[in-house]
Amino acid sequence: MIGHQLALIRRELQEHRAIFVTPAAIAVIVTLGVLAMLMLASGFAKELNLALFSAQNIAGVGERRAALTGFFVGTSSIFVVALMFMTVFYSLDSLYAERKDKSILFWRSMPATDAETVVSKLLTAAIVIPAVTAVGIWITHLVNLVVISIWVATKGGDAGVMIWGSVSIIDNWLAAFIIVVASGLWMSPFIAWFLFVSTWAKRMPIMWAFLPPIVLGLLEWIVFRSRYFLTAIGERGDMTPLFHALSLEQFVEEERWRHGVDNISLLEHMDLVGFVTAAGFWSGLLVCGILTTAAIYVRRFRDDS
Amino acid sequence: MSSLVSARGVSKHFGQVRAVDDVSFDIEKGKILGLIGPNGAGKTTLLKAVLGLTDCGGDLSVLGLNPFRQRKQLMQNISFIADVAVLPRWIKVSQLLDYVEAIHPNFSRARAEELLRKTKVRANAKVRELSKGMVVQLHLSIIMAIDAKLLVLDEPTLGLDILFRKEFYANLLNDYFDEERTILITTHQVEEIENLLTDIMFINDGKILLDSSMDALGDQYLELMTSGDEVTRARGLGPIAENELFGKFVMLFDGVAREHLEGLGEIRIPSVADLFVAKIKEARR
Repeated sequence: MIGHQLALIRRELQEHRAIFVTPAAIAVIVTLGVLAMLMLASGFAKELNLALFSAQNIAGVGERRAALTGFFVGTSSIFVVALMFMTVFYSLDSLYAERKDKSILFWRSMPATDAETVVSKLLTAAIVIPAVTAVGIWITHLVNLVVISIWVATKGGDAGVMIWGSVSIIDNWLAAFIIVVASGLWMSPFIAWFLFVSTWAKRMPIMWAFLPPIVLGLLEWIVFRSRYFLTAIGERGDMTPLFHALSLEQFVEEERWRHGVDNISLLEHMDLVGFVTAAGFWSGLLVCGILTTAAIYVRRFRDDS
Repeated sequence: MSSLVSARGVSKHFGQVRAVDDVSFDIEKGKILGLIGPNGAGKTTLLKAVLGLTDCGGDLSVLGLNPFRQRKQLMQNISFIADVAVLPRWIKVSQLLDYVEAIHPNFSRARAEELLRKTKVRANAKVRELSKGMVVQLHLSIIMAIDAKLLVLDEPTLGLDILFRKEFYANLLNDYFDEERTILITTHQVEEIENLLTDIMFINDGKILLDSSMDALGDQYLELMTSGDEVTRARGLGPIAENELFGKFVMLFDGVAREHLEGLGEIRIPSVADLFVAKIKEARR
């Protein structure tokens, strides 16, 4: 069972190379962006006075820590947005493309059950893609800290203190990993819905993925004058149970002038226990389970037609 | 003889259309059975039922298993080539071997690599880079490296040129088939596989028109080429099909003894293609 899952997931990674290429492309773009910004800042350092990574220009320790954490959160959010798109397109494509190119007939000629196959795609979307994204965030973060350190050192600054002493790498990295993996689990009902549509739709899965929920929401409004359905879908998008209360502005504002704190901690703002004990977490997994079962059932009857 | 496949009253309907209609048959070990039928006859639906790709009514047992409910166990002992185009185009040959090796307990990677060494298929090539013939060679190498009891081939050489088709069947016979293995094959190119078959089954409109061994076929059906005054006498024996060819009449008889035809013209065993056409026309009358 585990051996089959590993082989099936490896197959997914081989087929959907965007899972690796997208984070790598973002990493390159972010790094080039930082390099360009540093070059610009170095040319106009005095005039600009405050370029985010011209750490020498940031007077206060707290401000410097907030700026570096802001950089980390900002770049991570690019990955998270990409993660969202990747997951949607991967999930919608994974069980549809195999019918489109008829390869389903080959896959089904092998002794792997439909349940094993669908679960491997669910695990890829909900766990593996977020994990790869987390690694992308770590590498980007590390590379850019090195780049910034070199820049600071060339300006005569002490990178060890100003950069590495002002950012809590383990805290940030753990936070990134938790956020992206938790997002995969939290969004798992959506992923399972997309997988179901992917195996069910004979054409245009993207339309079938989004149109029925919108129509259902409109019908609810027309018939009952209520918005429970669309509100429930919308609220699932904000990951509320993982954070006490957080927006990036609030976070920076809160942390910027904190004194006597060695490092700003993203983890402190998380409520992991609250997240995994929230009713929404478990009800989401339940919906995910139901839709995944439906996808498995539908695939049993699917061939290349 | 032990039945690998046993079908009793098997049916599959799509709405009002009876794709497979109450068919019963057995396939025994060590046979090469040709399943022949016109387009839309129900061949592929029947094969899909045998492979557990679709459910069906009636009793269908393959290797003692219910194919739809026990497909995973079944696939450990069945191989099939559904179509030449079904290998995923994005995958590399080496990745494909990795996958089958990890998933299939009866797959021998060494055997597959040995077979592939005889072809131009390279391990680092992607399937999309291979010609249609090479894709078939790859697929067949994988299939032949699986120690399966039953091999199901659905139009395996469709779209291939004659060289690849000949090579395909030669490899199948020389490097794969033995008395422990059974092959079920459908194709439109009946004449190319006629000499391979041990048994034959005709299907039309979801019903089986003929289920016979190739040996028995020669005892049951005879073809007579006749002309002149003998034509009327021959017609009196009730041919199931009659064609005129260059002024001569070719008649096909079902169950008429050879001695009754002797003296009426040239007698021979009909080709499977001719018999197939005659049986289909007879069924449609």
